[in-house]
Amino acid sequence: MTTGRLLRQIGFSLLLLATALFFFGPVLWEGITSITPDAEMVAVRLFPRNPTLEHYQSIFVGQPFFRIILNSLVVASMTTLFSLAIGGLAAFALARLHFKGKRILLGGALAVSMFPPVAIISPLYLIVRALGLRDTGWALIVTHTTFSLPLSLWILTRFFEEIPVELYWAAQIDGCTPLQAFTRIILPLAAPGLAAVAILVFLFSWGEFLFALTFTTTEASRTIPVGIALFPGLHEIPYGDIAAASIVVTLPVILLVLLFQRRIIAGLTAGAVKG
Amino acid sequence: MRSSARLGYALISPAVLLLTAVALIPIAAALYLSFQKRLPIFQIVRFVGLENYRFLAIDPRFWNSLGNTLYFTLLAVTLELALGLGVALLLDRAFPGRGWIRAIVLLPWAIPTVVSSRIWEWLYNVEFGLFNSLLTEGGVTHGPINWLGDPFWAMHAAILIDVWKSAPFVTILLTAALQTIPRELYLAARVDGAGRWGIFYHIVLPALRPVILVVLLFRTLDAFRVFDAIYVLTGGGPGNTTETLSIYTYKVLFQTLQFGYGATLAVAMFFCVVAISLIYFGLLGRERRGA
Amino acid sequence: MRSVGRWITILGIIGLLWGCRPSEPIQEGGPVTLVFKHGQIEGNPAAFQTLLRKFEASHPGILVRDEVLPSSSDQQHQFYIIGLEGRSAEFDLLALDVIWVQEFARAGWIRDLSSLFPPSERGAFFPGPIDAVLFEGRPYAIPWFLDAGLLYYRRDLLEKYRLSPPKEWSDLAAAAQTVARGENDPRLRGFVWQGKQYEGLICNVLEVLWSAGGEVLDERGKVVLASASNREALTFLRNLIGEGRVSPPMVTTADEETTRRLFGEGRALFMRNWPYAWVLFQKEGSAVRGKVGVAPLPHFPGHDSAAALGGWQLGINRFSRHSKEAEALLLYLTSPEVQRTMAIETGYNPTRKALYNDPALAAAQPFTAGLRDLFFSARPRPLSPYYPMLSQIMQPEFSAVLVGIKPPEQALRDAALQMKHLLGEPVR
Repeated sequence: MTTGRLLRQIGFSLLLLATALFFFGPVLWEGITSITPDAEMVAVRLFPRNPTLEHYQSIFVGQPFFRIILNSLVVASMTTLFSLAIGGLAAFALARLHFKGKRILLGGALAVSMFPPVAIISPLYLIVRALGLRDTGWALIVTHTTFSLPLSLWILTRFFEEIPVELYWAAQIDGCTPLQAFTRIILPLAAPGLAAVAILVFLFSWGEFLFALTFTTTEASRTIPVGIALFPGLHEIPYGDIAAASIVVTLPVILLVLLFQRRIIAGLTAGAVKG
Repeated sequence: MRSSARLGYALISPAVLLLTAVALIPIAAALYLSFQKRLPIFQIVRFVGLENYRFLAIDPRFWNSLGNTLYFTLLAVTLELALGLGVALLLDRAFPGRGWIRAIVLLPWAIPTVVSSRIWEWLYNVEFGLFNSLLTEGGVTHGPINWLGDPFWAMHAAILIDVWKSAPFVTILLTAALQTIPRELYLAARVDGAGRWGIFYHIVLPALRPVILVVLLFRTLDAFRVFDAIYVLTGGGPGNTTETLSIYTYKVLFQTLQFGYGATLAVAMFFCVVAISLIYFGLLGRERRGA
Repeated sequence: MRSVGRWITILGIIGLLWGCRPSEPIQEGGPVTLVFKHGQIEGNPAAFQTLLRKFEASHPGILVRDEVLPSSSDQQHQFYIIGLEGRSAEFDLLALDVIWVQEFARAGWIRDLSSLFPPSERGAFFPGPIDAVLFEGRPYAIPWFLDAGLLYYRRDLLEKYRLSPPKEWSDLAAAAQTVARGENDPRLRGFVWQGKQYEGLICNVLEVLWSAGGEVLDERGKVVLASASNREALTFLRNLIGEGRVSPPMVTTADEETTRRLFGEGRALFMRNWPYAWVLFQKEGSAVRGKVGVAPLPHFPGHDSAAALGGWQLGINRFSRHSKEAEALLLYLTSPEVQRTMAIETGYNPTRKALYNDPALAAAQPFTAGLRDLFFSARPRPLSPYYPMLSQIMQPEFSAVLVGIKPPEQALRDAALQMKHLLGEPVR
């Protein structure tokens, strides 16, 4: 190995380390905080002298944290599903079909993203209540899907446009309907984009707070951000419990994402290879 | 062509329905409110035309928050884009453990803001936070830095959090975009004798440009509307030096209960963002979506 | 591709099943379910649940469902506004922060409780909270529990330097400087208080302003903020951080918990905070256990000490469909027996004066019983439906003074100008 290459390898590894440290550092600190007993919370040490699991125990006592996680999982999954389905089909139409009004749709969707949610929460609450969705998970699924649509539409349209149009035409010449060409050719090739959007939409719904606070009130429909916002007491902020809760809710997300990435891409690209 | 158009309308109809019913109607309501003086506490509901907008033009707190928001957005988005792109490029080549690093990079975005704000608040804590501990013990600073209570530091502390949280967003999308660049292009370029920078400049950047534009757009929209992190950390203080438009709007709406003026502020935010988007499209989006 | 389709179908079915359960049981002539919304109950939440069940037992036909909101006062405020402005009937009884009652009463969102809470009943409560719940002479809420600001000090350190707890602000500053010089410990702060830009800042500043004889609004509701005594008080606060070096710069970002932790680690000589911190300091393992004393806040010469009033009141949603039942629950929760139980079990400070002489309470919570005199003098913040707006005007101005980007005189003038404009006073 030449010195040039060795230096480049070292440089690369250092950059990787720095990157990992920057993104992971605060999370690592959160993990350390989650096993620090309350008494040691103010003693700033890199590792507590008496690590404890009391915070992990206490977050499940006093509130149905499992239920809360389940609620968030269902809401986020359904949101992702709908957003990808509705957004994906619409994005395909925008990318490859001919009709008037494309710019209006994309512009309108973007306009939705430009409006601060705080300003529309009141009329939105009235709409949700009128639809009888108050305090159900559907209130969140519907609103999260709607407000994640602009991102889905814009990103997916871009990715679909990037697939060479010749492939699309070739599929149609071979006898596919436009929709079949979409599912067999475009979707598999755009799989990375789909996975990326899926992750982003899932995480948006997972961590969304304003709508969750306003539309859901009982434990039956509560989601994680509101659940964690309920940890602080009248005056005290239990940093340890909050840290434990955040670790508990983040790890499954990461596992899901790792799994999801591999499976979806494998599942979709398998179709393309055969077709 | 006609059947294609029909199919097209059919495919976009769910999206149109959702957006109209759930998003555009409340936005229209807010627009309508912006022309009203509406103080529910005093049961005042009155159409006042452009009076709210005229007040907006001379409202010093609006201009202060606009300035804060622009500064925040400019700095945060630039850093996020640079960092996100850098990390995406770094992770583009295969190496053992890449999947894990990708998952780690995702973490800041995966943690709900209400949670990460607390963690960062603790990190920035003047007396017990890790940052000050490391800095003073490392001999870098003399005394503790008042991260969130000093007019200069508070804004930059908030920017750092946003960069930490949002760079993954950029990375995820650019990584996906990088994956769609055919490897043959790289090989061909290398055969032609192109070096690193050449490949980056002539192959990668042009291929990424459309996605970069969308990423830039959405990051700007999000940064412009930033709320949660700053609200938890500083509440807009000290002395309104970190008060962004979102925070001002929130306070006007939910602490002073001026629903009309609050809507006016939201509409003003909207137009600012439209202006910025038009600038992006003008400068960078030279290729328009076709057909 | 087919497996993905299968997953989608499965998820879809789960979602439909899970989402379509009604959240409220349909009642046909069945028991009335009252919904009581409030923030987290500290201390022993099980005790509170027992109290609610006792109410249900003694009131057959009424069920109580209590729903918790995040502790953040702002988040609760936001929640109530969205609901009440939308005429929500989804909750019947609500817990109100002391600064909301005027606002909600003026808006017509909470019921007039004159028949429920006549003047003869009000005498049993502390005067401060009573003032806070009266709007145009009529009560719109009943005080539930209260809080007041006080001075915590390190008894051991003061004794070491033969100082007595400061009566005047100048004494406090002098004491802090003496101890700082003597201890020569850079980590020991003088006086910590809440100077972050939030509602708590108003409490801290008003306590100092009031103790100099200043006011925000006079008895007729006119703005008198830009007075000489206010200027003196605000300058004093700024100098605590600036030249005097009595308070560390971090107070500009400090809230209750930040200062509580600091003092609790033995890193401060004086602290202004609410009574809740006391119990935490006396806990096993606390660095300041047995070393803490409390006293009323200092004042300026010729004026009295002042304490800001905090606390929560109970009111009835005007759009509630079960107001009669809600009234019963309201009276129950503010009754002497329930207040005593809650004080003993959860450490909340009752709003009924007589309870402070109660032997059971004195035995279980001696510290609380000793706060009686303090609570008598607790003053509410300016009582006006405009208060949230006034607070929003004052907060950034006061904060700007504390970080040194605006001189006190100018800040007071700017704030007064905005307030006059708001209240429709002539602006000279």
